[in-house]
Amino acid sequence: MKSPFGRLLREIDEAPRADLARRLTLVALLLHPVGGAWTRPAIALCAAAGLLFETVRRQPSFWAALFALAAWRVLGAWPLGDNHAWLLAYWLLALLLATRARDGDARLAWNGRMLIGLVFAFATLWKLIAPDYLDGRFFLVTLIDDARLEAFTQLAAGLDGGEISALRDLVREHTDGIRPPAASDPELPARLLGLAGALTLSLLALESAVAVSFLAPVASRLARARHALLLGFCAAVYALAPVEGFAWLLLSMGVASCETTRIRTRRAYLLVFAFVLLASRWPWLRALAG
Amino acid sequence: MATFRAVTASTLARLPALLLVAVALVQLWLVRTQHLSAWSGGGFGMFSTADVWARRHLHAFEIAPGFRREIEVPESLREALRGALALPSESRVRDFALQLADVTAEADAPRDAVSVIVYAPRFEPGTLAPSAEPLRAVRVDLRGDAP
Repeated sequence: MKSPFGRLLREIDEAPRADLARRLTLVALLLHPVGGAWTRPAIALCAAAGLLFETVRRQPSFWAALFALAAWRVLGAWPLGDNHAWLLAYWLLALLLATRARDGDARLAWNGRMLIGLVFAFATLWKLIAPDYLDGRFFLVTLIDDARLEAFTQLAAGLDGGEISALRDLVREHTDGIRPPAASDPELPARLLGLAGALTLSLLALESAVAVSFLAPVASRLARARHALLLGFCAAVYALAPVEGFAWLLLSMGVASCETTRIRTRRAYLLVFAFVLLASRWPWLRALAG
Repeated sequence: MATFRAVTASTLARLPALLLVAVALVQLWLVRTQHLSAWSGGGFGMFSTADVWARRHLHAFEIAPGFRREIEVPESLREALRGALALPSESRVRDFALQLADVTAEADAPRDAVSVIVYAPRFEPGTLAPSAEPLRAVRVDLRGDAP
């Protein structure tokens, strides 16, 4: 006699990877509703229906409707649609194509792997060619200016509210041309410079490693570490960055590309999915920073 | 015929990944040629630069003989404003200037032109001293006979 949790775990372990990926995608859409005034309730309703009824989520028309809403959301907002919105549209198209195909499971696995690899490849490329990433300026400005990261900056760089506020006033100063540095400008603390440098290099290294491991042939040695790298990336980055919807999308794609026999890896995906939910709902950094 | 079907089926199966690459390449080109913010446009340039569209700004002016006055962007044009900041192409900024001229027109105060300048944030290496680089300046003549 198994406990309800044991039964649920067994059901999850035995679920085909494509169905697990579909369910995780729908859970993500419910937990992090997306879209505008009209598309948001429509997407949320579709996601709820798909989660409740297996027959619904096996219908190509169901995924076609969700894909149409996501595509409308991206194209209607051009050029303002964020990368999460674009990736969601591609992934919903992959789910639609998989429900129509005889080898849907394998097709979804291939698309999941490629989409993750390509997202990380372009993210890496942008970090290499952007004029202000490699010298640490991007992270310096973000750590100072993004209020959502204030608790992290306080803890990791050892700054107090007053120091962050003075630096924030500097980077938010309105100018309409070249403004030379002034003697009254606050100095950048050494610990903040070190933190920005470390984040710059570690994010670049991690993203490029995920890209290479997911784009490498499945049988290659490089590809063996891909799930561990993606899980590590999601756990580390999305515990800090408040973009849980993007994380859940990546994890859904990761599950789709994870062989059904790899029970532990599949469970790790679910665990990280839950971890990102916890990190996004509980302001643990603010609690630590006091 | 069978080969054609196989190629079509194979392409269709890879469509999501192909679309991602196509959109990302267009985005790369738009960033380089039209000053699209790397964060926008589906190229996955997020978290790579401080030049996010929300940090950009613009100034709009109405111009008439003897004066040049800044125009405040009304709430009704907020969406168009955001679009012009994210992708300040010549045509998009011109469209924005025309909409602004139309929305803020006053019958008793005729204007010769409206000009719009879009700026992107820049931060000095080492000090983070902020500057603003003009990305696009557009002047729209509102009188047909104006040069």
